[in-house]
Amino acid sequence: MSDEYNQKNTPIEAQSSETMTGSSSGSSSDIDYVRPAEIPEQDLYHGHSFISKWIFCQDAKVIGVQYFLTAVFTGIVGLILSWLMRLQLGYPELVPFITAEHYYQFVTMHGMIMVVYFLTALFLGGFGNYLIPLMVGARDMVFPYVNMLSFWMFFIAVAVLMASFFVPGGPTGAGWTLYPPQAILPGSPGAGMGIILMLVSLSLFVIGFTMGGLNYLITILQARTRGMTLMRMPLTIWGIFTATALAMLAFPALLVSCIMMTLDKVLETSFFMPAIIQAGEVLDYGGGSPVLFQHLFWFFGHPEVYIVALPAFGIVSDLISVHARKNIFGYRMMVWAIVGIGALSFFVWAHHMYVSGMNPWFGFFFATTTLIIAVPTALKVYNWIITLFKANVRMNTVMLFCLGFIVTFVNGGITGIFLGNVAVDIPLSDTYFVIAHFHMVMGIAPLMVIMGAVYHWFPLVTGRMLSEKLGKWHFWFTFLGAYSIYFPMHYLGFIGVPRRYFEMYDSPYVTSAVGMNEFITIAALIVGASQFIFIYNIVTSLRIGKPAGKNPWKANSLEWLTPEVPPAHGNFGDKLPVIHRWPYDYNVPGAKDDHLTQTTPPSEVINTEVQKT
Amino acid sequence: MSKFFKNIFGALSEKPWEKEQMINDNYHQGKAFNLSNQTSAVIVIFGVSTVLFSLIVTGYLYSIPAEQDTQYLLKPNLLWINTLILLSVTFFFHKVTKDLKKEVCERVKINLLIIGFLSYAFLFGQIFFWLQLMESGNYVSTNNYFSSFYIFTTLHGLHLLGGLFFWGKVYSKINKLEQKEIINEKRSIEALSLYWTFLLIVWFIFFLIMYVFNDAVIEFCRSLLG
Repeated sequence: MSDEYNQKNTPIEAQSSETMTGSSSGSSSDIDYVRPAEIPEQDLYHGHSFISKWIFCQDAKVIGVQYFLTAVFTGIVGLILSWLMRLQLGYPELVPFITAEHYYQFVTMHGMIMVVYFLTALFLGGFGNYLIPLMVGARDMVFPYVNMLSFWMFFIAVAVLMASFFVPGGPTGAGWTLYPPQAILPGSPGAGMGIILMLVSLSLFVIGFTMGGLNYLITILQARTRGMTLMRMPLTIWGIFTATALAMLAFPALLVSCIMMTLDKVLETSFFMPAIIQAGEVLDYGGGSPVLFQHLFWFFGHPEVYIVALPAFGIVSDLISVHARKNIFGYRMMVWAIVGIGALSFFVWAHHMYVSGMNPWFGFFFATTTLIIAVPTALKVYNWIITLFKANVRMNTVMLFCLGFIVTFVNGGITGIFLGNVAVDIPLSDTYFVIAHFHMVMGIAPLMVIMGAVYHWFPLVTGRMLSEKLGKWHFWFTFLGAYSIYFPMHYLGFIGVPRRYFEMYDSPYVTSAVGMNEFITIAALIVGASQFIFIYNIVTSLRIGKPAGKNPWKANSLEWLTPEVPPAHGNFGDKLPVIHRWPYDYNVPGAKDDHLTQTTPPSEVINTEVQKT
Repeated sequence: MSKFFKNIFGALSEKPWEKEQMINDNYHQGKAFNLSNQTSAVIVIFGVSTVLFSLIVTGYLYSIPAEQDTQYLLKPNLLWINTLILLSVTFFFHKVTKDLKKEVCERVKINLLIIGFLSYAFLFGQIFFWLQLMESGNYVSTNNYFSSFYIFTTLHGLHLLGGLFFWGKVYSKINKLEQKEIINEKRSIEALSLYWTFLLIVWFIFFLIMYVFNDAVIEFCRSLLG
């Protein structure tokens, strides 16, 4: 990075491709010159009572924490369900109260909770709300009231979902993909109120998310501080921005399918229902297509993978850069890859449907696009590794989780290439190989990032550091434990063990897979329990953690540059910060410190040199 | 449009670490587009709604069964009148935004009131048409055409109601203002106008596909589905 500015009094015409407002013809002899603010200050509603400050709060940071805690609550429910499933598979004699119906309900609720209510809400609602205004230099989201409504809509969606555990028949057991016609027909667990509550809850979730997404997009595009061009934004923001754009375009497909299926169930329409004879009786349905639901579901479902992955990509890039004290390699390529993956993710959905009976040419097309999407993804992996190469790596808990993410993501990604090919997918379809693949790539890998991000930003949110010692124990239990669970599952898939089976009955898998199932169950119990190390660390550090002070990681991005830690409502005190550089100036040759914050004016670092990237 | 793409791709090709770019970037005001937040919000909602309505239409076209009866609608009917009402709302919005551009605010209040009245008239017209359909024995579960028809008109109506909620907020604010102060609300009114234009476009597409050229569309889909 160069700060050797041309100090001649030449008029400077703004060249950024983004919109410039007002006149740009002013000349300046001052190398620190910035244009006076032309966008008026945002009026904020400051709550005074406990309720307006902490419950119906309009501060994006509080909303972020609310999202985070609610999502973690749902995640813990999902974790407990996974324990019950694993006990049934490994030691069925210990859990005689679990019936086949219960098992299917646990599978369904675990899947939906983890994908939608935990990961999506946590990345976009939690990290998005907390970080977007801080990182782009805004006082808050552009529509704080709508943002508050977004959280409460999410909260109601979670409440409705949880209510389905307590209705007659229990929650739906149709599998997390909710395929009709079986999802709404008698005979499937929870085919009464359970499925209706699930569909209503998902619809509420989408409506709530749309309110939040509106805020994230417009805040990032229209409410950045002076000097914060799009290409000076941290990659975290690029990841959240692109994922939000994907979600805004993909969630309507989920909403449409939920509305249509609710009508099929309640008003006996036939959007997804063909003519059906049940127990010798002809039902009133007819003329609909179950495959239409699959297309709609996966038009949402595949971008959903990237809705979770892209924020993780962005966050991990920033964590690696900060903790390796080096600028991120290939920043522009990283941005292009995020945007490219986002665009391509809308053209791969039917690779989930190779065995649905669709036209074989679809398989050819979707296998091709699926393999193409591996290119920008691999590019990102190379860039993370090259960033780490010859860097001044701090091997702390955050970095361990980042490294754990890279390894896990590569593992899960490679098995994705297997499954993207029609000929390989067909024999592996609906086996444990698929379970292993998607848990590695969109379960464990993003979780690694979430945990790394919590260790990284906890000092900002609370003003205290988390324990490094406990953090490292937490990492090794999680990392090794996750591999103990999912590596053997690949093998189970290869020998043909099918997913979603309550038990193996008299099949040959009983003898060949029983030991492995027991091993996986023990590993799952240990990994789940080790998360309580994390919770213990958080709870104790809140009270007795080492005070963090300002900017404990010596990071460059704006969230660490607030006058108060934790940041107050309005974020930046009297004056909004003015940006002079991108957020990746680490170990800049010629600079005194090993980092130059985004607000460091050029005059303070006259003798620094360009760092190529 | 080409300027839009130039802006986007131009921005993505910047090298923020280079000194020339740094100097230019320091002049940046922090906005990507010269639009108000309200207008930006309407455009984002357009994106979401476009996908929503496109998927409903796609679902309809996908599930037209071979034996679909196409002779059930009572043509001509109330739908034409409702379409005319929606067109006239857009006409009045056009007048309002034109007046605001010229900073002539005398008729803004009354025109906004007419817009609200006509929009409610459209909604009541739609409900009345539903009643007519049900009287003729065509319910939401009769067949996939009517299922799609009801779901589309419901969602379109809900969108309109959402717009009317914001119309109510803007109108009640404007109603309290002096004429010369109305110009301060220009951005909100422009955003509303844009929203109604979108509703009209969505309605037209629906009207053409599911009503005016319904038979031809069904024939075409049948030939595709073979």
